[in-house]
Amino acid sequence: MSGLSPAPPVLLARIGKPNSVSLDSYVADGGYASWKKVLEGVKGGEWTPAKVTDMVKASGLRGRGGAGFPCGMKWTFVPTKEKRGDKPVYLLCNADESEPGTFKDRLLIEKDPHQILEGMMLASFALDVKHAYIYIRGEMVHGAEILDKAVAEAHEKGFLGTDVLGSGVDLTITVHRGAGAYICGEETALIESLEGKRGHPRIKPPFPAVSGAWGCPTVVNNVETLSCVKHIVDRGAEWFKGVGRNEKNTGPKLYCVSGHVEKPGVYEAPTGIPWEELLALAGGVRGGRKLKAVIPGGSSAPMLTAAEIAGVPMDFDGLVAAKSMFGSAGIIVMDETTDIPKAVTNIAKFYAHESCGQCTPCREGTPWLLKMLRRIVNGEGKKSDLDLLLQISNQMGNGMTICVFSDAAIAPVISGITKFRGEFEAYIEKSTKPEFEQKAPTDLTNEIADRKAAGIHS
Amino acid sequence: MAKVTVDGRVVEVPNDANALEACRAAGVDVPHFCYHPRLSIVGQCRMCMVEVEGVPKIQASCTVPVRDGMVIKASTEKALAARNATMEFLLINHPLDCPICDQAGECKLQDNAFAAGLPVSRTSEPRRQFPGYDRTPIGPHVIADMTRCIQCTRCIRFCEEITETGELTFIERGGHTIVWTHEGKALDNDLSACAADVCPVGALTTRDFRFRKRVWWLDKTRSVCDGCEIGCNISIEHRDRIVYRFLPRVAPAVNDFWMCDYGRFRSEELNRQDFLKPEIRVAGGDAERRQTNWGEALDAVKAAIEKDPSKVRVIGSAFLTTEEAWLLAALCKDSLKVGSPEFTVDIGPKRRIRNKVDGWIYGSEAAPNSRGCEAAGLTRTSSLSSSSPAVLYISDASFSEKCKDPAFVAGLRQASVLIVHARTRNALTDAADIVLPVAPLSGKEGTFVNAKGLVQRIDTAIVSPPVVRTDLEVLLNLGARWNAFDTQWTARDVFEKMQASVAGYAGLAWDSDALVGNPPSISPAAAYDVLGLERDPGVEVFSRPSVTAPDRLP
Ligand SMILES: Cc1cc2nc3c(=O)[nH]c(=O)nc-3n(C[C@H](O)[C@H](O)[C@H](O)COP(=O)(O)O)c2cc1C
Ligand code: SF4
Ligand code: SF4
Repeated sequence: MSGLSPAPPVLLARIGKPNSVSLDSYVADGGYASWKKVLEGVKGGEWTPAKVTDMVKASGLRGRGGAGFPCGMKWTFVPTKEKRGDKPVYLLCNADESEPGTFKDRLLIEKDPHQILEGMMLASFALDVKHAYIYIRGEMVHGAEILDKAVAEAHEKGFLGTDVLGSGVDLTITVHRGAGAYICGEETALIESLEGKRGHPRIKPPFPAVSGAWGCPTVVNNVETLSCVKHIVDRGAEWFKGVGRNEKNTGPKLYCVSGHVEKPGVYEAPTGIPWEELLALAGGVRGGRKLKAVIPGGSSAPMLTAAEIAGVPMDFDGLVAAKSMFGSAGIIVMDETTDIPKAVTNIAKFYAHESCGQCTPCREGTPWLLKMLRRIVNGEGKKSDLDLLLQISNQMGNGMTICVFSDAAIAPVISGITKFRGEFEAYIEKSTKPEFEQKAPTDLTNEIADRKAAGIHS
Repeated sequence: MAKVTVDGRVVEVPNDANALEACRAAGVDVPHFCYHPRLSIVGQCRMCMVEVEGVPKIQASCTVPVRDGMVIKASTEKALAARNATMEFLLINHPLDCPICDQAGECKLQDNAFAAGLPVSRTSEPRRQFPGYDRTPIGPHVIADMTRCIQCTRCIRFCEEITETGELTFIERGGHTIVWTHEGKALDNDLSACAADVCPVGALTTRDFRFRKRVWWLDKTRSVCDGCEIGCNISIEHRDRIVYRFLPRVAPAVNDFWMCDYGRFRSEELNRQDFLKPEIRVAGGDAERRQTNWGEALDAVKAAIEKDPSKVRVIGSAFLTTEEAWLLAALCKDSLKVGSPEFTVDIGPKRRIRNKVDGWIYGSEAAPNSRGCEAAGLTRTSSLSSSSPAVLYISDASFSEKCKDPAFVAGLRQASVLIVHARTRNALTDAADIVLPVAPLSGKEGTFVNAKGLVQRIDTAIVSPPVVRTDLEVLLNLGARWNAFDTQWTARDVFEKMQASVAGYAGLAWDSDALVGNPPSISPAAAYDVLGLERDPGVEVFSRPSVTAPDRLP
């Protein structure tokens, strides 16, 4: 059986049903059966935390939040009880979804909250978590209300609390609202924010699995990742592994397709669906126009030209091979009418606005990129600008900063300029800036070598 | 200890050191801004970039804990390019106002721009402005100018981790990040001016020093604050007989990198120009006092004392150096035969300072050297007895705040002859019969014994005008009238003579590091340069301090 053959939706199965947010309707559709099954099997030793973890490991589930890290492996980084002593383990559900082009978590939150909760319950069981948190983006007021209600209902019905269903397992879930900062989706910034501090990413190591919230071992997982956990326990790891392109790209996946397509929206498909099939699901390019470029994994992913994306399997490894990334599966489709310099400027504006401001290259670099791009699209570009933009970008990534926000910020700029340089040059040709200001940028490589030779650098 | 190779040089550093410290220990100066040996590691400025063998990405060295066998490459093309990059980013929005910035000359941004920056600017974009956040006082002593801030958070961490008062924070985000006080709060704590010390740039400056002197003109003299018995090591920074500021001098066992605002801003007191002159009143109490020369004044003192040595009473002061106190005690005992002098010290508001050895240490006396005075043979009394002697000799007239109180002075005035050493005019000097003007802290040399029993040396920063002598000179000249002392003795001579008999002084050498402490630093923001490798092992390497989880239920 091909892992890519279309199948009825799993993650989205209950979306569109009347009152899908209520616990009763969830239970009526077979919800919380896995949670009950596991809890009932605790005393007899039929279900152990290790068994759940092993299932998740075997399923090949990779994180749906952006990095695509194998979920089961992340869970095994949590120190054992002997090593961590009295310290509790925390599970944080990352519901901060703010990556431009991404809107799958919001759908799950607003339409099927109990699916997420059940996933969290099972993950908490696997990780020996007594208190789990959902960190939800500040702007998702409606979603927060729904989650609050769902958690209260689950407590009321005894799916949460102390000694849940007589199993001896304790679990509380708290919904925590963020204040609407994109960076708080980065897991360590999320932890800082949850602790009540500014959302500043932390230096890693230590990774959250070792020292996270309040200095305790902490697992951060995306909404969709946790929702998948529920279905893995429901249907087994083999089923999950059977869906998807190959061993490393498994399971049903939510694709957020936006931009110039006929039917933008969230689509569920096996991980690794070929680009053309996905585009077809979304009704093809708007108005029968020609495809120009695609941002395949949220705004942080380098954009691909129509030629580059042809035939690419839309999954973690497929997009890495195409020199981009799967990220949050936020797929932004741009047709031939798109003005790439303006699109890049728009994205640069987002990153300049959202940088947390800790690291010098990101704090200073993101607004610098924006100022230059704005100048270019406003008709005041200089010939030297494009090379300078690329040089600045290269000074911002690859370890220059605490978190990878900075790497994300430069991806659209670098890919946009290298792949659509002509469009930028067309703006600059029409520039009103005087010629004498259009000199070439200083070649810094020689400069450094010269100064080193002169003994100026140690 | 871990063996680490930096640019081919092998050094051994403590296991809890980081790569930046290993580089410093190896003599490879890696430029940095946010790192400070007493503050937590945040890795924010991204200046200290180095390559670490086996790690593909460039690393901020302060965030990399050392490992035995680690190989650090601090001067590769890639490392230098990374630092050039950070310098470039820091400078694109920095105002080029060095000519009017007080930090110029002791600014880490200037220094690092020279060391790691490039002589070209590639930006043509308008520079960032912070209307309303420039040149604004944020507390009683500190003025902030956000256009110059490089967001290193040293000041924020100082207020969180050292004073634990937490007045400062980041406001806004990204390129608009402002470092300011929390709403409705002022940067007002007992160590607040240290925030300006740790600031590597001119974003935080002290109100008192602002625009008063270019720092490169300042002479720096080692001294010890005389505000309380903690005895913070200070550098008296002066030029052309004017004291411009005190800066803390690094003393890990005393004040570490800090000093309190009270002590720091006593500096202005040293600039008083209302020096007294030697004056005597020859006849009875009613005659006018008249100016005289030192010879006549001291002869008059001797004559008064010799009338009836049994009715002489001597009161010292905890502002005397131990050498001076010892001379005073020796004079009383051996020449005047009046028994040991007394002294008393005001119990003032509590002062405190923090170092990594002791945590907080406290001072409550309003003078620096009560311990040295006791060791030198002065007797501490809590209240001065009200017996009215024939002659009362007080050294000096500022020994207590009460000397400004006419009622208290009237009690002392019961003596037939009142002789005072005096640094400044007050009710007591007004009432005295013989006034012997003496130099303040900046004009003295000698040693103090602090609350922890450490003997610390002060040096002369400014030689006082000829009409003013040090207490030491006065006592030597007076003692010479009984052939007790030689007027040519220096403070060092006295120190060496008294060593054997004064508790705590045996075996100390006048020139030893223990006595003189660390040299003043060139830049207060990099004061730890004088220490080489040193970091508080208790400082956590990661992130801000954590609190315990709140017990929240839905
Ligand atoms: C700048 C930045 C923003 C991020 N935003 C999100 C987000 O909104 N939601 C999310 O789930 N993960 C986000 N991530 C990824 C998280 O750091 C983390 O990898 C993820 O939550 C882990 O969950 P997963 O393993 O289930 O994917 C972000 C990462 C970065 C660097
Ligand atoms: S890279 Fe940017 S967003 Fe990430 S920590 Fe540094 S300043 Fe903040
Ligand atoms: S004010 Fe000074 S110490 Fe504070 S963050 Fe800015 S540059 Fe750093």
